[in-house]
Amino acid sequence: MNDDTLLLRQVHPTWIQSGRVTSQVFKPTPKDQQCLSVYNGDQITPADSWRHFTENLGCQSVGVLSVSVAECRQLNLNARPDPGPFPEHAVIDFGQHRGAQLEAKAKQLRALAVQRGWQYQV
Amino acid sequence: MKTIPFLRPRLTGARFEGKAIPLEFLKDLSALEEMIVEMAKFFFIKDHPDRKRLPRGFTEGIELRLSGLDEGSTIPIISLVVTSATLFPPEGQAYLERARDEVIRAISTTERHQGITGLPGKALGYFNRIGRSLRDGEAMEFPTPDGQGVARLTKETRRRLLLTSTDIRELTEEVTIRGTVPEVDQADMTFEIGLPDGRKVKAPLEPQYLDTILDAFNGYRTAARILLRGVGRFNRAERLLGLDSVEHVSLLDPLDVPARLEEIALLKDGWLDGKGQSPPREGLHWLGQAFTSYYPDDLPLPYIYPTPEGGLQLEWTLGVHEVSLEINLFSHSAYWHGLSLDTGEEISQSLHLEEPSGWSWIVTEVQRLLGGVA
Repeated sequence: MNDDTLLLRQVHPTWIQSGRVTSQVFKPTPKDQQCLSVYNGDQITPADSWRHFTENLGCQSVGVLSVSVAECRQLNLNARPDPGPFPEHAVIDFGQHRGAQLEAKAKQLRALAVQRGWQYQV
Repeated sequence: MKTIPFLRPRLTGARFEGKAIPLEFLKDLSALEEMIVEMAKFFFIKDHPDRKRLPRGFTEGIELRLSGLDEGSTIPIISLVVTSATLFPPEGQAYLERARDEVIRAISTTERHQGITGLPGKALGYFNRIGRSLRDGEAMEFPTPDGQGVARLTKETRRRLLLTSTDIRELTEEVTIRGTVPEVDQADMTFEIGLPDGRKVKAPLEPQYLDTILDAFNGYRTAARILLRGVGRFNRAERLLGLDSVEHVSLLDPLDVPARLEEIALLKDGWLDGKGQSPPREGLHWLGQAFTSYYPDDLPLPYIYPTPEGGLQLEWTLGVHEVSLEINLFSHSAYWHGLSLDTGEEISQSLHLEEPSGWSWIVTEVQRLLGGVA
């Protein structure tokens, strides 16, 4: 992974309304232990990540958005490989960011991802 | 012309508080007249098994008329009016009064869960139209024949009356539906409404709504939705089977809040790939009402998303400002967070949305972020 590596994030169908995705897509839930699951874009294409997510993991996704490792670093978020669940798995670690800080990071990541556009869409 | 006092039902509920009767309610009174006349015929034939025909003039030349409103309240005065030049047989009036009393008795016994006597099962089908326009909290109150009490016809009583008869397979109800238009058949003049749960039901296509329906049809792929009011046909398990008539159609804003809440209400526990609590129905109902009451029409509508914890997150993009309002549907508390993507300026605020002041704060802040344009 380097600065240009894209981190691929799946979008649940309930988290898109009239084409707009929620910032929750980029916010770890309390059960995520502050780490947001993504795919390492150096190891898998957006389309293959969608297939893996929906077919191998049996989860729902209407498409794939992305942010880069450099963008995460600029927001003081640490992105790193986490091949435990499967080889292409990575995480964006929100560390000690909670409350308003967490909300702000999620909104900023969403804005960057939306600006980059869909990497894959059903 | 002879006028005989006949019936004085008292109408109660929000819509009747202004001492006025909604015009649509006249249809219910008309159906009541029809039922009473038909029941009068039924009782006459029942009492005279040897006769094949009704006496001449038994029903012709007589009708029930709304002759006034009782002063100071919402009590329509319904009179029996004899307009025919032929003599009105005295027994005709007696049978109409007996029919009236049996209808009231049926309502009363059903209201008190005591079963029904006196009316044939098929006759209960008239309640598909009588009381159909009653809404929650509204009632038609009839003095009981013994003069000792009141029989209340409500939405619930009406439904129980209909279900009492095994002859009745389908019930009709006035409905308000929000949905898409996936199909239009201009040859048959029908269209299909896509319901939030994915089912489709057919409705008649009235010419006056053709343009609106076609707009919604053409916008199907972008989730264009309509608001439709009409008469729905349900099976005995309360499942909507189709529309019998359509009385109002309008295109909805793509972000229509009630329509979005209806979609979210269908979520089950585990909706987020095994995680995700379903939002409580009472909470969604509360939010829908509160939003309608406190959020002005001229402000931009929010996007609405469920949260994994069973709450909702409302979001606005207002210029360079990204705003979220996370709402706890159990406690009705909320957390506002606004971020300027230009300057990084943030505003956070905890709110109590039970209080009008909480909504007032939101409205003021949305207006401020819009730059006072709204």
